[in-house]
Amino acid sequence: MVRRAALKPLAVILAAVMALSLAACGNSGKSDTAATEKNNGAAVQGSSSDKKITITFQNIYPDPTTPSHKTLNELVKQYEADHPNIHIELDTLNTDQQKVKLKTQAASKEVPDITIVNPAAQMKPFVDAKLFAPLNDMLDQNGLKDTYQSGLLDYYSFDGNVYSLPDGNNIEVVYYNKELFEQAGIANTPTTYEEFLNTVKTLKAKGITPLAIGEKDSWTGSFLFMNILLRTNGGPGFLQDVMDGKKTFEDPAFIEAVDSFQELVQAGAFPDGATSIDANAGGNIFKSGKAAMWVIGSWETGAIDASSVAGKVGAFQFPTVNGKGDPDEFMLAPGSAFAISANSEHLQETKDFLNYFALNFPKKQFEFKNAVGLGQKVDGDLKAAGYSDLAIEVAELFNNVKGGDLAFDNTMNPATAQVHLSSIQNLFVQKVDSAQVAKEHQAAFEANKE
Amino acid sequence: MKVLKVPAGTIAVFVLPCLLLYVCLVFVPILVSFYSGLLKWDGIANAEFIGLANFRDMFANDPVFWPSVRRTLLYALASMLEIPLCLWMAILLHRYLKNGSRLASIYFTPVILSVVIIGQLWKTIYNPTSMGGMLNGVLVSLGLDSWTHNWLTEPSIAMYSIYLVSLWQYFGYHLLIQYTGVTNIPEEIYEAAKIDGAEGFKADRFITMPLIVPIFKISIVLAFIGSLQAFDMVMVMTGGGPAHATDVISTHMYNSSFLSLKYGYGSAIATFLVAVCLLFTVVINFFFNKLENRYS
Repeated sequence: MVRRAALKPLAVILAAVMALSLAACGNSGKSDTAATEKNNGAAVQGSSSDKKITITFQNIYPDPTTPSHKTLNELVKQYEADHPNIHIELDTLNTDQQKVKLKTQAASKEVPDITIVNPAAQMKPFVDAKLFAPLNDMLDQNGLKDTYQSGLLDYYSFDGNVYSLPDGNNIEVVYYNKELFEQAGIANTPTTYEEFLNTVKTLKAKGITPLAIGEKDSWTGSFLFMNILLRTNGGPGFLQDVMDGKKTFEDPAFIEAVDSFQELVQAGAFPDGATSIDANAGGNIFKSGKAAMWVIGSWETGAIDASSVAGKVGAFQFPTVNGKGDPDEFMLAPGSAFAISANSEHLQETKDFLNYFALNFPKKQFEFKNAVGLGQKVDGDLKAAGYSDLAIEVAELFNNVKGGDLAFDNTMNPATAQVHLSSIQNLFVQKVDSAQVAKEHQAAFEANKE
Repeated sequence: MKVLKVPAGTIAVFVLPCLLLYVCLVFVPILVSFYSGLLKWDGIANAEFIGLANFRDMFANDPVFWPSVRRTLLYALASMLEIPLCLWMAILLHRYLKNGSRLASIYFTPVILSVVIIGQLWKTIYNPTSMGGMLNGVLVSLGLDSWTHNWLTEPSIAMYSIYLVSLWQYFGYHLLIQYTGVTNIPEEIYEAAKIDGAEGFKADRFITMPLIVPIFKISIVLAFIGSLQAFDMVMVMTGGGPAHATDVISTHMYNSSFLSLKYGYGSAIATFLVAVCLLFTVVINFFFNKLENRYS
């Protein structure tokens, strides 16, 4: 009897423990859903018209000083004020954290109502897994679709459906520090690769770091390399041709690009120890006036204007390489984009909110002086609105864009892209036979073909 | 069970909560990750069962895998070789200083700092001369210009630069463990030995050594497991670069799973890591049990 009596509470305790540990086994992403469900439960008792709804909005604008952060928060606040029954829960993360978190959430099919993805190849795995809702119907509301630059939404579309809405559209340009150019006695910005190399050498001889870069984040070097490839290939589409089987990485255009890139390294264009500098620190070398040039996306325009070199910086197109290529073709960087979870419990409300958000996003960005590199058309004159000369110069480069390529990791699958990224990183630290680099790429491409 | 004179139910109350949590948080994930290792899976969409193909690729086709294993094991070896040095220091502290624990605490300070801070600090120290790196600066001022290097970006030495930082950081940790062990040996034994004529090195050899073996083992196991899992320091300082020159098993696993989106393959590497940890823990235990038996 005593044993039985002792066992009964024991059973209860064990059951509780089991439940607890099972909960611990579950994915942390579930807590979001649980919170939403709780809200629903409370709302059922009230009338159905002002049902409380929580929309989770994962985003990558953590820095409160940036225009994007301010834009997002103001729009969310405004929307909540207009729709008292809707609460928008922000899940604000750094870019890298968000990438990993989303992948973890995706593995357990717990994608937040709104999240952030990158275009083309980078979002394809998510679309293939049917995690995102098509946004075609929502784009037709309030004329949202027409605000986007023509062709831009293609990078976010699969099989005729648009799955996410970009926050920008940028091009790769060469920023240069006019003061440092003057110090080195360089009058004109280079238009050919030969001039570019000479500029590098002249700067180097004066003890000025020619090109800023943060190659610990290996996409930076790849972004520059791809611009050279865009030229040696005589135009865009090299990677697409490789994927279609029309070319291989052992094509002369690719080998020439590797060689040209190595010339740049040999000329001492990059800061010492570039592969241990992260992308932000690399940018700061330029923004603090210690490097003369920076080859990067036009999204940095606002940040440069806010740095200590503001007013001394101009921008030019990447030069032709060995007489090949057209300077009006750019590396294109369609921005990260807002996608809606296909399993969202409040799909319609989420779509309505994102529609409002995307319609007003460009207007707010314009007010916050962040209109350069927007993916949507905005009315308003930059000069009249008090934009800097650099911003206007970059905006003019946009007008010249005739086409171009996407970054390597936006075109090829992630596994091939990683091999490419570390292969390019290797060029920074040692001289390599370019044919070997090409072979490495081709092998990785074939091994990871789908 | 009978020995304890307690009903099995009561034992269960005390043991099961922890056991269940442990099984749930450690064993289940290990099994799940072993299973994931058998899949071709990007971590997002549907997975395809491919048997042991990931393991075959890992052992035979991956140019990064074996070098990263070698670097990890070398790291483990270096961390373990550090322990005797810690023990020696601990003995000296105990013997010659009245308040050795204060010094031991000072040695301990790097351990309480976050790895990210340590990593950033040493990155600055290792910076190239042109960026004002302290180490190179010291070398230049000593006239040893030819000894300067880009410590973190030359593929042949970058890994050793990282080892050094880790060894520096964990020196105080193991020193403190050994110091505690040494101070816990009763003073009477030394006094008795002194009467018998054993002092200094002789006392170390025949009293301290045998009595410190269990503590020494703890340090060795901790150092070994810790270095197999080394991840944060590498991530902060080089991210595995340049071109995989500083990749260890765990960073390779992370890169494969989350950057290359080969989740299944990453899981296979994780399984390998678990197996190596288990194997070496058993080996180290076996070795030390023999050692302890010999002394007792």
